[in-house]
Amino acid sequence: MAVITAPGAIAVRTPRHHSQLWLAWRRYKRNKLAVTGAVVVLIFVVIGVIGPWVAPQNYAQANFLYANHAPSLRFPFGTDGLGHDMLSQVIWSFRNALEIAFGASLVSFLIGLALGLWAGLRGGLADMAVMRLVDFMFAFPNYFLSLFLVVAMGRSLLPILLAIAIPGWAGYARLVRGLVLGMRNGEMVEAARALGATQRHIARKYLLPNVTNSIFVAIAFGVPFDLLVMASLSLVGLGLRPPLPSFGNMIAQAGANVLGYPWLMYFPAAIFAVILLAFLFVADGLQEALDPKAGEGGRVPRSRRLLQIARGRSPAVGGARL
Amino acid sequence: MGLVKFLAKRIVAIVVTISLVVGVGYVLIYISPGTFYSAANMGQGLSQLQVSDPALYNQYLNSLNSRYGLNQPLIEQVGKYVWHSLTFNFGTSFENPSIPIIHQLAQAVPISSILAFGAIALAVVLGVPLGVLAALKRNTWLDSALTTLSMVGQAIPSFVLAVLLVLFFGVWFPGILPVNGWGTVGEAVLPIVALSAGNVAAVTRYTRGSMVEALRQDYVRTAEAKGVPWRRVVLRHALRNSLVAVVTVIGPTFAFTIISTLWVEQIFTIPGLGTLLAQAFPNKDVPMAITSIYVLCLLVMGMNLLVDLLYRVLDPRVKLQ
Repeated sequence: MAVITAPGAIAVRTPRHHSQLWLAWRRYKRNKLAVTGAVVVLIFVVIGVIGPWVAPQNYAQANFLYANHAPSLRFPFGTDGLGHDMLSQVIWSFRNALEIAFGASLVSFLIGLALGLWAGLRGGLADMAVMRLVDFMFAFPNYFLSLFLVVAMGRSLLPILLAIAIPGWAGYARLVRGLVLGMRNGEMVEAARALGATQRHIARKYLLPNVTNSIFVAIAFGVPFDLLVMASLSLVGLGLRPPLPSFGNMIAQAGANVLGYPWLMYFPAAIFAVILLAFLFVADGLQEALDPKAGEGGRVPRSRRLLQIARGRSPAVGGARL
Repeated sequence: MGLVKFLAKRIVAIVVTISLVVGVGYVLIYISPGTFYSAANMGQGLSQLQVSDPALYNQYLNSLNSRYGLNQPLIEQVGKYVWHSLTFNFGTSFENPSIPIIHQLAQAVPISSILAFGAIALAVVLGVPLGVLAALKRNTWLDSALTTLSMVGQAIPSFVLAVLLVLFFGVWFPGILPVNGWGTVGEAVLPIVALSAGNVAAVTRYTRGSMVEALRQDYVRTAEAKGVPWRRVVLRHALRNSLVAVVTVIGPTFAFTIISTLWVEQIFTIPGLGTLLAQAFPNKDVPMAITSIYVLCLLVMGMNLLVDLLYRVLDPRVKLQ
């Protein structure tokens, strides 16, 4: 078949189709700090997952013959007062931090999601009750609630996870409720309702997909925050019960022994600070990449956003959590 | 809203919130595993007695229960506890029954307050000039250096910084400043520095932002056009107006700072509120644990109220709500 080309016709190039994810990745890549952070976080996750197999010793392995040894070839990070190999402690801490930080963020998000959806969709009395509860949660530092919860539940992995997670729901609930309210009266939902969709169907098929980006960003900011809370619990004696290792435990212990055995401090403190920074940069990059709408108008500059996180408020969640 | 109505409403809100926090805290400790009295806070003798003479042990336990009112229904216990807390009737702690809690607080609260307020004061004293400097030299190397520095300062938690300071002044360069204890002026320096680093960064950023905004205003140009010296324009016309923004940072900052003192006190072994709390919670010293949280809540919420009032004084256009 002959191809008919009119003289002077302009070859129209169809625009390449880019998926939302690809576009987000392209935006993310531009932010060098965020990419560096992502690499560090990836290393953190990998070590956290394979930790038990690569750690030279079990975390609880005490060896009194080698107590308080300075870093050497055999013990690259030195040993503590009970002869624990600090390298192994650090590696196992990665795993505990990984489980608790991600787990706690997920749990507080799920609680917030459920309550926020309920308040936003049901409205009326349910909405009022949830929002009063949110107001209460924002009125005092939630860290205090974590302390009481640790006392009530104990100091192993799951209780600590829940103690960090349970006080953290209010911000997510407010975020989800706001998003739902913003969309509930939109045309899309109106059309679905006119076609006879149930509330449940609307929530699952229409509302959730539209709020995932904001929620993803909120969780990304939640993880470093939960890491901070987890470590700080150890400082007031309510962290993971030793011998379970965590960065907070190591930092608290090193704080008591720093004059005699400074190496106990070097590695845990430095690694913890680096991980925290990495997570903050990743969350910040994700916000830029996933929430481009924020770019027009009410955008908070990066330095200001990081500041809000450092002050214990997540810009994505929009409230104080400490 | 009138000032009196505003104050009344806020104070009611504070009382309700604190009652709820104390009540929830009490219930959570009540349902926690184990009894209120353990070997940790009643001494080893109790567990020996349990083995050697169970009858006497139970009698002793009952007398303790009625002494502390633990044989009453839970709802009554919570009500009474909240009421006694609100009337500042804290009783004695389990750990240290000979000293009333209020006396222990009288020693600890000033220490923590000095740390927190010192950190805020240092943040204002350092942060405002740095912010003005960054705003005046905007988009130069100085501005970007200050921006980078404040980003790092914000992101590193105070207790990690405290640890680094201990390393620096305790291990690498000992003898310049004391790294633990409390009592002399020198011993307050490092904790306050550790606490204020994040705040200095925050105040610098906010001051810079609002100064940049203020310098663009018409009244600044007018003042300059009328021949007011530049120094006076900056200090009188621009800075005064941008200070209002700085006050708004201090409210949330204070809450974070007072909680950070709990952690930093542990690193520097300072006998403040954090030490009381860190001894009370792990040992389940119920009265002390709840009271320390009560006092902390009171400090944070009282400070927020003060900041709101101050805001109103500085900017009469602000409506109280």
